[in-house]
Amino acid sequence: MTSGLVTSGLATRQAGAGRHPNPRIRRAAAVVGVGHSDWVGDWARTRAGEKPTDACGYGMQAFNAALKDSGIDRSIIDGLIVGPTTAYERMGELLGINPRWGDQSDAVMSVLQAVMAIESGFADVVALVYGNDQRSVGTQYGGPDAMGGNAFLSYVYHAPWGLTSQGALYALTLQAYKHAHGFTERDLGEVAVAQRGWSSLNPNAIMRERITVDDYMASRYVCEPLHLFDYCLINDGGVALIIAEADIARRISSKPVYIEAAGRSDLNHGATSLEPRLTDFYLPAQQAVAQQVFDMAGMGPKDMDVFQVYDSFSVHVPLALEGYGYCAVGDAGKFLRESGVGPGGKLPTNTGGGHLSETYMQGWAHQIECVRQLRGECGDRQVADCRNVHYSSDVAGKAVSIIYSR
Amino acid sequence: MAATDVRTPRRVMGLYDKPMWESIDAREMKLQRCTGCGTFQYPPGPGCHACLSMELEWIPVSGRATILSWVVFHRQYLPAYPAPYNSIAVRLEEGPIMISNLEGETPSGTWIGERVKLVYVTMPDGVILPRFELDR
Ligand SMILES: [Zn+2]
Repeated sequence: MTSGLVTSGLATRQAGAGRHPNPRIRRAAAVVGVGHSDWVGDWARTRAGEKPTDACGYGMQAFNAALKDSGIDRSIIDGLIVGPTTAYERMGELLGINPRWGDQSDAVMSVLQAVMAIESGFADVVALVYGNDQRSVGTQYGGPDAMGGNAFLSYVYHAPWGLTSQGALYALTLQAYKHAHGFTERDLGEVAVAQRGWSSLNPNAIMRERITVDDYMASRYVCEPLHLFDYCLINDGGVALIIAEADIARRISSKPVYIEAAGRSDLNHGATSLEPRLTDFYLPAQQAVAQQVFDMAGMGPKDMDVFQVYDSFSVHVPLALEGYGYCAVGDAGKFLRESGVGPGGKLPTNTGGGHLSETYMQGWAHQIECVRQLRGECGDRQVADCRNVHYSSDVAGKAVSIIYSR
Repeated sequence: MAATDVRTPRRVMGLYDKPMWESIDAREMKLQRCTGCGTFQYPPGPGCHACLSMELEWIPVSGRATILSWVVFHRQYLPAYPAPYNSIAVRLEEGPIMISNLEGETPSGTWIGERVKLVYVTMPDGVILPRFELDR
């Protein structure tokens, strides 16, 4: 009988004990072009009641900018990955691309899918295109028909008890985390203050007025213990990237940005009733991914010059600091206060201002900020001699990480 | 708008949810328990996540629980829930975590770790909800 062996083998496949991923993807592909829409201008126009374009239009604007940035002709693009907010075939139709590899995915998985397709030989040059008109169409991320409710049961399952907003799920996480580790609201305020510090240096950022921890504490609660400044913006816009096989990338670009390493680990046990959020704070998943990506890259947290964290809510940041080993478990409050993640801090984090202050592009804008920091194109917010950038996201228990390098 | 016009947000009613809500309407909440390994599960589903058995039975819960986390909404998202109102996450004595609301007296300071017991509350539109109150 082998069932005992099989069972024990499966048991070791839990988070934290995975087989090391295939290192072939290391530097197999590189970003050769990035682009985005006019977030600042469109913010003003949509708030004035205008409808500058639709979700596909924002995607096209971004794609055109990325194409121009890459300097390539559209005809060499043979892969297309479209974000989850537009129909895949409609976007492909508008962009005039008949790829030999196509897919639809979220920001970080789109980058991984592009690398996987390229390493497997299914495509050589992949366009990643995201557009979203969430502001002008009034997308609801709370309420009985909360966005994502079809994909994540937890977003709608608890509606009879009044719990539907995604912010509320993170507020529950924060409350339990505060209790477990002596973390305070002022500690969390350091995240919003730091990211506003970065966005004040970023002409692409929608919110550029600096704030203090006292401003943060004086702001209203939305779902206590989360304040208004802990929530992402809701705005229209688009982002695009062009990713090419490494040899092709070197021919196309004088400054390719390599996908150095990538990994993923999910916590699904108890997901609908929020167990991984409330008892583990996603820590085992983040630690498993940290091991994968740092092993693959042959680097560690100390080698990272910039950290980018998917921040639909500020509380993602302290959890990621601990999960990826930038500080000890339970020490994120101390790290935020004493080391700092804002301009001048020890670990520059979300250097564009993130979802809280720059633009809410569901993780996509974070990818092009990684690329621009590594190319040295970030102007006043440029981190000096930036060589390695680490991106992480932990949406609904799916911890995914990418390391970008020059 | 009269209070009775305000409808309680609808229940997610998948293929396996109905027996639970019927037991709540009868004021004796039952959850699925695996006949193979004895694990309770919530939300209800087709099989046991612990051992993959698909033989499940419906067993009344004790109603005893402990608060794991709590929030207070200061913004209204739903007609039936004017702000401020709370939501809590509790660990049932039987094991599963459940989202609900804390009725009546609230603790001063943190609510985490407080022992609570199940109560049944009738909403203005007649819907019965399982909620919790402090068990002191
Ligand atoms: Zn079982």
